[in-house]
Formats: sequence, structure tokens, C-alpha cells
Amino acid sequence: MNMLYGLSRPTSGKIFIREKEVDFFTPLDAINAGIGMVHQHFKLVPSLTICENILLGVEIMYEGKLGKLPFIDSKKAYEKVQKVSDKFKIDLNLKDKVRDISIGLKQRVEIMKMLYRNVNILILDEPTAVLTPQEVDDLIIDLKELKDKGKTIIFISHKLSEVMEVSDSIIIIRRGRVIGDVKTRDITEQEIAQIMVGRDVVLRVNKDEIGCSNNDVIYKLENISTKNMLGKEVLSDINIEVKKGEILGIAGVEGNGQNELVMILTGLMISTKGKIIFNSKNITNWWPTDIREAGIGIIHEDRYAQCLCRDMTISENIIAGYHRNPDVSKHGMMRYGEIVKKRDRLVKEYDIRIANPDGNVSQLSGGNAQKLIIAREFDPNPKLLIAYQPTHGLDVGSIEFVHNKILELRKQGAGVVMVSSDLTEIMSLSDRIAVMYNGRIIGEVDAHKTNTAEIGMLMAGITNKRSNQI
Amino acid sequence: MRKGKMFLLDILNSLLPLLSAFGIGAIIIILIGENPLTTYNIMFGKTLFEWNGFLKTLHFASPLILTGLAIAITFKASIFNMGVEGQLLVGGFFACVIGFCFEGLNPVVHVILGLLTGITCGMIFALIPAILKAYFKVNEIVVTLMLNYAAIEILRILTQTIYRDIGSGYVSTPTVAGSVMFNRIGGTRLTLFFPITIIVFVIMYIVFKKSRLGYEVTAVGKNPEFAEASGMNIKRKIIYIMLISGALSGLAGAGYMFSEKFKYTLDFSGNPGLGWDGMLIALLGRCSPIGIIIAAIFYSSLKTGGDSINIFTNVPKEIVSVIQGLTILFLSIRFINQNTKLFGNIMARFDSKKKKNEEV
Repeated sequence: MNMLYGLSRPTSGKIFIREKEVDFFTPLDAINAGIGMVHQHFKLVPSLTICENILLGVEIMYEGKLGKLPFIDSKKAYEKVQKVSDKFKIDLNLKDKVRDISIGLKQRVEIMKMLYRNVNILILDEPTAVLTPQEVDDLIIDLKELKDKGKTIIFISHKLSEVMEVSDSIIIIRRGRVIGDVKTRDITEQEIAQIMVGRDVVLRVNKDEIGCSNNDVIYKLENISTKNMLGKEVLSDINIEVKKGEILGIAGVEGNGQNELVMILTGLMISTKGKIIFNSKNITNWWPTDIREAGIGIIHEDRYAQCLCRDMTISENIIAGYHRNPDVSKHGMMRYGEIVKKRDRLVKEYDIRIANPDGNVSQLSGGNAQKLIIAREFDPNPKLLIAYQPTHGLDVGSIEFVHNKILELRKQGAGVVMVSSDLTEIMSLSDRIAVMYNGRIIGEVDAHKTNTAEIGMLMAGITNKRSNQI
Repeated sequence: MRKGKMFLLDILNSLLPLLSAFGIGAIIIILIGENPLTTYNIMFGKTLFEWNGFLKTLHFASPLILTGLAIAITFKASIFNMGVEGQLLVGGFFACVIGFCFEGLNPVVHVILGLLTGITCGMIFALIPAILKAYFKVNEIVVTLMLNYAAIEILRILTQTIYRDIGSGYVSTPTVAGSVMFNRIGGTRLTLFFPITIIVFVIMYIVFKKSRLGYEVTAVGKNPEFAEASGMNIKRKIIYIMLISGALSGLAGAGYMFSEKFKYTLDFSGNPGLGWDGMLIALLGRCSPIGIIIAAIFYSSLKTGGDSINIFTNVPKEIVSVIQGLTILFLSIRFINQNTKLFGNIMARFDSKKKKNEEV
């Protein structure tokens, strides 16, 4: 979407508007071509009025007899904006200051801003993420109105129900590829959910069936809730139990609170309510180092953001998170001799292919980078593993490696929490599956007795009696 | 292989701006009617290739090494301490106050007390932006930059009122006591300050290459998200880094006071100040410790060489300031090119326009 709006440029391919090829360098180019975008985070000036915000960049000047004067003709501006707002039936009190109005109104201002610039294609990025249900309804009414006036609207959302309600046709994107292009009336929410998580690849894993239902609970979440920066509750009353030797899969359409959940589990976010109990110790809101020290291995989603630092060496990366352990640092000094030994040992044990052992992580392929993370997190023999999208973007061989390692860990009696939006992965690895929807665990199913249809239903927010509702 | 290439690129990136600055400097010298080669020859010959001149250069390089380090370590953590100048002034001033307030102390005790005061004052002054940055997310560049002026003005008032030396014909504090003055070693310009600087340099080198703090700071600077996920307390690291930076600046001020100036005057740190020179040196030395030493010595030779030019040629001393300014200018061009895609974008735009024209 950033490409459509001129914020970034495609490396290949072309964009056509009305069968004419266009090439955008800045958002201004896009606006001139008739594309307007409403960002997820509004770009408004709080201290100016609605009218002034709409006109920002295209101010109307006094026109005297000698030509344009460098003063803003606010009366004329007001009339002009009012005309546009009447035309599209968008109710706004143009003289209010933006800082005084509600979020829903701010969004209307953003839309008005684009309409005033006479765009024909309107892109809305996650427009409902910050809105209350009533505001969402109003927005949808507005959008339908615009549609009737002949505007094209691109509505990007994670929320299936809204997409179903507002759209005429749907394009489903997964991992940077278009995987579905359908007419809204030909499809149901469950079907979309299934397409989104993918059912094309079926991975076979050799999973030994070891009964774990009678094992002790090693990890327990009690009523975990949290709020995001806007003060909206993004997780509510999460209750999870993981037993020794059990893999708990957490499925769900992306953006339903998995991010926040993993951040709380790994000490990057503070929970506002609830307790996390590990090995009968309360570890709620501990630091990441302390969590790791207690025996929890962590694999984050983004390999090059949280897991590894590309511009640091392999040996520096292989101790990250464990760099306070006495075997790698003593009296505040790093023991680089020991670290290099550890690196050489792990590189051999986990078969990490590297060209230059002293080089930076940036030289590694995705699969080898992931192996490096696995080596780091598995080497201290964790009693619990938290894995978020552990095979994201990997080739089949590396996926198999990661899966086998996770199963090995399970065999040793460790518990595993695996959060993934890849349903195939969840289905083939987990013993039990919890499904997240809208910041809640909407249902929990036994992995051996379920099917994609049932989970797809839960992911779309539809519960039935077979799953134990919480 | 790749590392060697990067290293070469680094050297080239430092040398090119310098050469360009000297090139333009040469044009100006020609316009004055002098031979640039002889001028440059005198400037560097007197300061680098004559023993006494070289020691003088080292002497003036000492505060520059410290301020260069002070800025380089904050760059390493992707923090920008623009307040080295202010921290240096505050450190130097209060070291001076300790210097003239106590008379007849044991020289060792007095010197240690003076230096520690300088270090502490630099740290306290750096703590203000550090806390604002770590806990209130205030942009440290603005705060440190503006605090420089606050420091200059407050110290001016103190010098004009409470600490004014009545006997002096201009605004200055009294001269420090003899017990804190660093003696010249063996008739050269070198004093105790240079060995202290080298010791501090070695300590900082070890801290940044070998210690856990160095490791964590590198991680914070290179990838904050990674650092946080690995359990590093970023806020605390910011404070540590700023404190170290402030301590180095304070020490530079105190050392400069005891080895060269002996009293606080309004032009204590010169113009541009030692802190600003430090920034140039950090950039010129690509923030690597060895690079900083070389850059500091080179820069100091430029500064002291100005006097020789004045004596032996018709070129005014100010040519050195011109070259300094040009170096900063060219260095910043490199900087932009490296960190942003400014040129990439311009080129892309140009290409597509060309393409369109061809199609038409």
C-alpha cells in the first residue's frame, strides 16, 4: 500500500491507473493521480481547526486586483470546504479544533482531506483499529455513501466481519503474495479465514504420541490483561496452562492480540492484570534476562529485529540474552575466549553454515540465522519454550529442522507455547490448540480431534458447542 | 575480504573531505598570493616533524582526544551528546574554583580533588539530558545543545561576580594555586595531562572492546529492539553512556585548566570550543579509538600550526579556521550520503524522467 501511495517504490512491476502507467515518488504524485490514503495513525495538527487541517498544503489565498496575496482567505476557504462536505454528506463542524474532537471524527477529517483533493481512489489502512463499534458503523455508512458517489475504496483490515460488510470484492494477501481474489457474495467468513492461514502445504512431522495429559502444569497464565498505548484493552483475561512435554499451539488471524501476548510472555510489555506462574514461581512482568535465566527459551517473530542484530558478529549474537551468565562474562568483563569456544561448539552441533565465523550475522541465510537462534535458546536446556512464528519465511528444509528441534524439546519434557498464524504448523505440531480472537482465547480444542474447519470457524470469531468455551 | 574493503572505504571517507578542504584552502592561499605548498609544509613541518613542536601538538591534542572519545561513545549507542562543550566548561570552571580556593594543600591531594571535581561536575551536567531522554523521551540533541548556552551564561555570571579576580584587567577568575598546576616535563610543553589522557584512553578502549557494558551499549546502538528483547535495560544504558561522556568532557576541561589555562576566562575553550572540535574529531576518526587519536593529533597540529603560518608567511592564521569549517562541511556531506538515500532518490527520479522523455 505504501507503494500505491508513493511512500516506497516497487523494485519491479508497474502500477496502472485507468490503463495508464504511473510512477510515484512522493505522496503528492499519488494525490495528483487521484489516490488518497488514510493512515492507521492520523496525520493531523491538533491545534488547528478542522477546516485548516483539510486545507493544509493547498491553502486558499486572498486574490486582490494585483494578484495573489500571501494571506489565507479563511472565509472563502470555509465555504469551499463546506461545499465539499455537503456534497458527500459528511457531517463536520469545520470550526472545531482537531484536539477537541473524537477519534471517529478525526478519521472523517482525514477522509475529507482526501476528498477535498478530489481523489478517486481512497485507501484506508486498518481504519477501524482505533474506533468504537458505533464509530465503525458510522464509518461504514460513510464509506457506502462515497461508493455511491463513484469513489473507489480500498479497505485494508484484519477484521473479517467488517470486510464482509463493506466490500464488493476481496483480495487476500499472505506473506506478500495475493492468495485469493474473490467476490464478497461468493464467500463466507470461515472460508476467508481458511485461505488466510493457508491449507495448501501439508507438512508431515514424525510426532511420537506421548501422553502428557497427566503431567504437571509447568506454566500458567491467570487472567492476563493489558492495554495498548491508546488505552484500549488489547488482551482480556487470558488463561492458559501448559503441561510438561506438551505443545500448546495458539492460532488466530494476525492482529488479534498475539503480538501483545508474546510481548507479555517475554517481558517486553507490562500486563495490567493477572499472573504468570512458571514452575510455581510468580514471574509476572519480569525482565527478559530473568525470564531466560529461570529456564524459558524465547524465539521472537522478527528474526532481525528482536532475535538477532545483523551488524554484530555471530559470537556476539550467540550469547545475547544470556550474556550475564558467568560462563560468558565475569566481573563485568566479557570472556571472549570462552564465547568463541561456545560459538564453535554450537555452530558444529546445530550445523550452522557460515562463510566467515568472525563475520556479522548479516551474512547468514534466513535458515541459518534461525538455526543460530535455535542454538542459542536450546543450548541451556529450557524447561519452557515460547516460539512466535518460528518458521516464518523459511525454506522447507529449515522448517523441518525447526520442527524437529521443537519436538525433541518436547520429548525431553519441556513445555512449548507456539504462537503462529500458520494453521498447518499449529495443527501438525501441537497437542492442544487455543484460538485467539479479538484479544481473547475464544476456544480451546484437542489437536488430535479437530479439523481446519472448526479452527477456521473459531478464528473468524464463531463459537459452537464442541469447543470448550472460556 | 569484506572487512578489509570496509576499512579502506572508511579511510577514504575520512581522507576525501580533508583533501577537499585543503584543496579549497589552497585556492584561497593562492588568491592571497602565497604558495600553498610551502604554507602547508610550514604548518605540518613545525608541528609534526619537529620534536618540540610535536610534543606541543600532543599537549594540545590531550583535551581533544578526551572530547573526541566523549562524543564517539555516545554515537556508538546512537545517542547524540551535543553538550560536550558545556560539560567541559562546567568541569573546567569548577576544577578551577577548587584550584584557587585551597592553598597550601598537598599537590597530589589537590590535583586529585581538582580533577575529580571536574569529572563530577561534567557528569552532573550530563545527567540532566540523560534523565530527560531516558525517562521522558525528550530529544537529547536539543537539550544538550541548548544547555551549552545555559552553561556559558551561568559561568559568565559567576566569573563576573562571585569568582571575579579584582586585580585582573579583564573578566577572569583568580589563577589556580601552584599545587595544582601541572609542571612541564623536561622543558617540553608536555605535562601530566597527556599521560593521564592516554591512561583514560586505554581504560575506555578496554571498556568498549572487552566489557559487558561495551557489549550492551553496542547492541543498544545497533538495534534497540534486539537489545531490549535480550533483556538490556535501555534507559539505564542511556544514563551510563551520558555519565561516561560527561565525565570524559569534565576531565578534559579540568586537565586543560591545570595544564594550560590556569584560570577561567570567557574564551577558556577557544573558538570553536574544544567540545565542538571533539565532534569533528569523532567524525573524522570514524568513532574508532585509534582513528580518534590520529584525528586528534592531526587536528591539534592544524591548530598549533596556525601560529607558525602567521610567523613565517603572509597567510593569516584564520586560514586554519577556514580549513576547519570546510572539513566539517565536507564531512557532513559524507554523512548524509552514508545514512540516507537522498542521492538514490534523486538519481531514481532523474532516471525515470529520462525514460519518459525517451518514450516521448
